[in-house]
Amino acid sequence: MHKLKIEDLEKIRERARRATLLREGDSKAKIIVHMGTCGISAGARKIMNALLNIVEETEVKDVIVTTSGCAGLCSREPMVTVELKGEAPVKYVDLTEEKIHKIFSKHVLGGKIVTEYALAIGSEREP
Amino acid sequence: MAEDKKGSVLIVGGGIAGIQSSLDLANSGFKVYLVEKGPSIGGVMSQLDKTFPTNDCAMCILAPKLVGTGRHPNIELITNAEIEEVMGEAGNFTVAVKKKPRYVDEDKCTGCGACTENCPVKKMIYPLEEEPLPILKEKDIQKIRAIIKEHREEMGKLMPVLQHINKEYNYLPPDLLRHISKELDIPLVAIYQIATFYNAFHLEPRGKHIVTVCVGTACHVKGAPGLVEALQQELNINVGETTEDMSFTLETARCFGCCGLAPVITVNENVYGKLKREEIPKIIKHYKD
Amino acid sequence: MVCAGTACVSCGSLGIKKILEDEIQKQGLENEILVVTTGCNGFCGQGPIMAVQPDGIFYQKLTPKDIPHLVEEHFLKGRPVKRLMYIPPGEENPVPLISEIGFFQKQRLIALRNKGLIDPEKIDEYIARDGYRAMAKALTSMTPEEIIKEIKDSGLRGRGGAGFPTGRKWEFCRKTKGDAKYIVCNADEGDPGAYMDRSIIESDPHAVIEGMLIGAKAIGSNKGFVYIRSEYPLAIERLGTAIEQAREYGLLGKNIFDAGFDFDIEMKQGAGAFVCGEETSLIHSIEGITPEPSQRPPFPAQSGLWGKPTNINNVETWANVPRIILRGADWFASIGTEKSKGTKVFSLVGKINNTGLVEVPMGITLREIIYDIGGGIPGGKKFKAVQIGGPSGGVVPNALLDLPIDYERLTEVGAMMGSGGMVVMDEDTCMVDIAKYFLAFTNDESCGKCTSCREGSLAMLEILTRISEGKGKEGDIEFLEELGKAVKDASQCGLGQTLPNPVLSTIKHFRDEYEAHIKDKKCPAHTCKELISYYIDSDKCIGCGLCSKKCLVNAISGEKKKPHQIDKSKCIKCGVCYDSCKFEAVIVE
Repeated sequence: MHKLKIEDLEKIRERARRATLLREGDSKAKIIVHMGTCGISAGARKIMNALLNIVEETEVKDVIVTTSGCAGLCSREPMVTVELKGEAPVKYVDLTEEKIHKIFSKHVLGGKIVTEYALAIGSEREP
Repeated sequence: MAEDKKGSVLIVGGGIAGIQSSLDLANSGFKVYLVEKGPSIGGVMSQLDKTFPTNDCAMCILAPKLVGTGRHPNIELITNAEIEEVMGEAGNFTVAVKKKPRYVDEDKCTGCGACTENCPVKKMIYPLEEEPLPILKEKDIQKIRAIIKEHREEMGKLMPVLQHINKEYNYLPPDLLRHISKELDIPLVAIYQIATFYNAFHLEPRGKHIVTVCVGTACHVKGAPGLVEALQQELNINVGETTEDMSFTLETARCFGCCGLAPVITVNENVYGKLKREEIPKIIKHYKD
Repeated sequence: MVCAGTACVSCGSLGIKKILEDEIQKQGLENEILVVTTGCNGFCGQGPIMAVQPDGIFYQKLTPKDIPHLVEEHFLKGRPVKRLMYIPPGEENPVPLISEIGFFQKQRLIALRNKGLIDPEKIDEYIARDGYRAMAKALTSMTPEEIIKEIKDSGLRGRGGAGFPTGRKWEFCRKTKGDAKYIVCNADEGDPGAYMDRSIIESDPHAVIEGMLIGAKAIGSNKGFVYIRSEYPLAIERLGTAIEQAREYGLLGKNIFDAGFDFDIEMKQGAGAFVCGEETSLIHSIEGITPEPSQRPPFPAQSGLWGKPTNINNVETWANVPRIILRGADWFASIGTEKSKGTKVFSLVGKINNTGLVEVPMGITLREIIYDIGGGIPGGKKFKAVQIGGPSGGVVPNALLDLPIDYERLTEVGAMMGSGGMVVMDEDTCMVDIAKYFLAFTNDESCGKCTSCREGSLAMLEILTRISEGKGKEGDIEFLEELGKAVKDASQCGLGQTLPNPVLSTIKHFRDEYEAHIKDKKCPAHTCKELISYYIDSDKCIGCGLCSKKCLVNAISGEKKKPHQIDKSKCIKCGVCYDSCKFEAVIVE
């Protein structure tokens, strides 16, 4: 990787922004597993593994599974955020491997929010 | 100062307490013999920075007293000496004092220290015996060489080296530390200062399974003390100890930072959260098998 | 197009329009979006109503708090907000918005703005969220003096505890002459029950790196250290990855952005010693010598690491810096109270429903944090106090729930901002026990250099232990207060100077509880084992036998279906029977 110039920073910013917002590319959904120390202690790694297994088994190609840091609400972990193309993200809490199966098939593939496990829709903002 | 001598006393120990008592008694007319085991008086206070609770400088209080004791006509200093025998009864004691040899005329010595530097047989004056380095296994030698090589260029390299050894061996084997001392040219005492200061370093081998109870505030209010008690009972050891069969070591830690799961214990890398006291035996059993 | 028909105006559509315009301006979209009012849409039952063109999307039943979400999602990110659109009856969506959930609603994110949003191991995702733009600005278009002025004007104060103004600290270090200068990020978060620094590094490590880069430019330093607790393996790993990535992109290293500025960061791990959070101890620990504090002055800014001028800031402080540079001092200074600007991250733990990490504006009240964000106390118990600031802090009791939180106010009531641990306690928490807990902690962690701290904490601990065992004497409380004052006055570093705080503040606010222990030999919270006993209420016990089965020492006996008894000579007061009884027949006194 060559050294960045300021113009490059701007380019990366645009490209990465599009990618994270799912505006571009073939992906139709992104699943973020919140993996801070607290999340991992509460079992986030199991959820992550379960998700990867599901993706492999169902041979779905257009779903991104990624990690992120703690979402703040430690007592409700493990948590994941599911984002479908063109829709606001949904946060799910108190997950188990069973629940993640259901969320995957109903929400990620079927497009319907699993209301009984969902905590909230949307993302937080800077003041 | 009272001129008439009332009698004589012998004070054992030339620390601040002995010095002050000597001065007070000598001022009120007693002839004082101050016996000190070491070569000089002053004791622990001479090593302190400040004194409690006034925060006064220790040396500033002590120094005038040292000089006063040395000059006082009523005080006779007997240093480098120990009490052999005490005979008699209150009011009439006879004490046998054994003075250790020192081969230096105390009346003429100014304490310049030149002799210790020039002494061809240094060991005669202050014995600092150098034990031969312990013999290590070939693989240990390889390991510490590699560790030292990795950190040699770092600024403040002692810490990373110790951390690395601690990680490899699960504790800091004292034999290795002596080698490290030689290799890094850091006095062993400085290494021990660091090794005993931090909670993460251990000088004794630890068990196969490390059971750690979080005793952070959140865990404390949610019942961590009960878990510690239950584990001590279950393993039959105290915190900081290892079971005889080297299978479990019980430790406490200051907060793992997963307060959402309080109270928490970890066994090796595994986390058990929202734990109840009665679940302890089951967890331990799992690792026993 | 906001509907301004009579029906919609009467349910607030003009207010909505105003908020909408403000919000659009805030997001810098005023050139792209035009807000107009229209006549009645005829859908009056669902007002206030708004339509967005050319998308042809129709929003209904708007309230002012929906607008920021709507602008962010729809206009900024191009995702229509389904929840606010017209939904045929029967297909309503009961999942609430983030902004409707108390836990999220009252938070204001600056230091944690990327938490849970980006992958901390991908630098590109950080860049996508305006990452390293502040650094580019600082490096290419600002002089060190301008950077320092910006930070000073913002009113940012050290988030590690004492709250020293960051800008002044930088200026002090900048003005000291030296051939090399160092900057340090203090990530030795030792307070039990506090983990905001860990979380910031775990979820957004680049923010810390960027903050340090800006600080380095301002001070004139080319080398930085991050001193991090070895108990945080994940944070260490992620920060390590982040530093590597920044180096690959040339954001760390020589001649960054061709602006003639070199800077690199090295990570140093602690090994579990609380006192290392103290500046001078931390410096000694990095140098690899015994980490005892030393006398200040000289301050680290004059003579720090290896005798060079050194500037130390906390993780959270560094994470705030890029946002201030990018969005300006005025923006930051508009948040918070008169003397405490911006936000503070707290770790909200203990006896509270929503345990977690929260970032709130300074000046928020405790009540809002505990009830609105924290969701109150579990099990319908009564709130008693909150312990703020860890072993250096104190308790804030129920009576002060409406206290606005900032540096000065907390100090006034005997607590301290500290690094931001907030442990909530309910009626079952004994204040003497808490004071004892913290004293045991500080006594253990005292490095032993100052007698006042080493022996004073031990003396206080002995008295507290005596009180908790029912052997307290008249005059103990007064003696504790006197000792506490002496230890405060006579100790050299922050650890000793603040260690009496937990004792003094619990005495200040809960003197009656101490007196109950000493005079009546009772522990009102039923925590101190020597002062309580368990017995079974024979009217309530149905003889199910559950407790006798669970009892670890076989102290409970009785025939089936008849009331049981506890043998007090065997009972170890562990409380298992109390927790397991379903009929509330086990009584503790």
